[in-house]
Amino acid sequence: MTDAIRIRNLAWRAGKEFALRDLSMTVPAGSIYGFLGPNGSGKTTTIRLMLGMMEPEHGTIDVLGHAMPKFAHRALAKIGYVPERLHLYARLTVDEQIRFHQAFFPTFDAAESERLRRRFGLREDQKIGALSKGESGKLMMLLALSQQAELLVLDEPTDGLDPVIRREVLSALVEYVDVRKATVCISSHLVHEQERICDWVGVLDGGRMVAELPMQEFRSGIKRLRVTNAPPTPDAMPFSVLSRDETSLHHEDWVVRGWQPEMREWFQRSGAELRDVQDLDLEDSFVELLRGARSVTLEER
Amino acid sequence: MFSRIDPRSPTPIYAQIADRIRVAVASGEMRAGDDLPSVRALATRLRVNPATVAQAYRELEREKLVEMRQGAGTFIAELGADTRKREREAAARRLVREMLTEAARLGLAPADLRNALTHELPETK
Repeated sequence: MTDAIRIRNLAWRAGKEFALRDLSMTVPAGSIYGFLGPNGSGKTTTIRLMLGMMEPEHGTIDVLGHAMPKFAHRALAKIGYVPERLHLYARLTVDEQIRFHQAFFPTFDAAESERLRRRFGLREDQKIGALSKGESGKLMMLLALSQQAELLVLDEPTDGLDPVIRREVLSALVEYVDVRKATVCISSHLVHEQERICDWVGVLDGGRMVAELPMQEFRSGIKRLRVTNAPPTPDAMPFSVLSRDETSLHHEDWVVRGWQPEMREWFQRSGAELRDVQDLDLEDSFVELLRGARSVTLEER
Repeated sequence: MFSRIDPRSPTPIYAQIADRIRVAVASGEMRAGDDLPSVRALATRLRVNPATVAQAYRELEREKLVEMRQGAGTFIAELGADTRKREREAAARRLVREMLTEAARLGLAPADLRNALTHELPETK
């Protein structure tokens, strides 16, 4: 098995407003996959379909080699899941919650769970209802990591947590991945956070996958170019232009995707001049990618 | 030594990690036989993908700056004086190149930079 998650041509609809359209997604085994997208783009819906909680209208979903949702019972035994909304029982204590969770997973490692409980500074007798948001977040991560899962599916796991707790949680995650050689699919709109740990990126917008590629390619392939004498309707471009702004009388700024240094040559051939090539960080790349994807969608209509 | 790893920098994270170690070797902060943190320990500390740290170590191994010994860890290799000198020069050049890129973006002329450098450097005879 080389892909931990493989989704092909997935379609799903909720009312008139929201739909996943022809969505394909591949999470290679052993990767840390950043599932990015603005709020409402369909990340949580995709995750729920991925875990077999809903039936797709069209398309196939394979998780750890099991077809979903039919074999969800087999796949779920090997998946640690941290949902967007935490579902914990307010009246249980931390220790009771841990033992409750343990009962569902034969692979649960009690020693590991105890180690994480200490590391995260959670007291056994604390009532769940009295935990802070950060403590609840840490407890959810503890439960998922202690399962010794092959695949972790984390839906906005650090959303709303303070930076100190975010660091603790992400450190524990990195360590786990290295020890267990597990696969992680982590959704977030906090792009900045993904930048450090992910080696694959999928970007979802309006229910469509607008890009899916290795992080390094994502970061090195998207550039801002400063161009003078730009042809009004350029043709045969070896890269794709996500946006084009006339920033001054003298030059335009282009944001392009799929850039490689050899492509400078194209500007000479088309009579334009390339003045500068700037790198974008992940957040800027992400914003530009969405801007590009949205203008294409408008043209289609 | 690794405190200023910046995920937003255009320089990939593995290259930033490798650069820090090169500089530490060049400056004598790290010496032959010193051990580097394990891949896991450094990845956990920096909250980066373990594969990224491994990539940095492999690159340094290719350059013969470090030795990876199975089961024992990663160590700074025995280096000749000229290697250390080369590394120092390379580190200085990298720094200057970064400065030049940034200066070009700000529209500064070479003369501006030269003046600023003369002003900032301690007096030399």
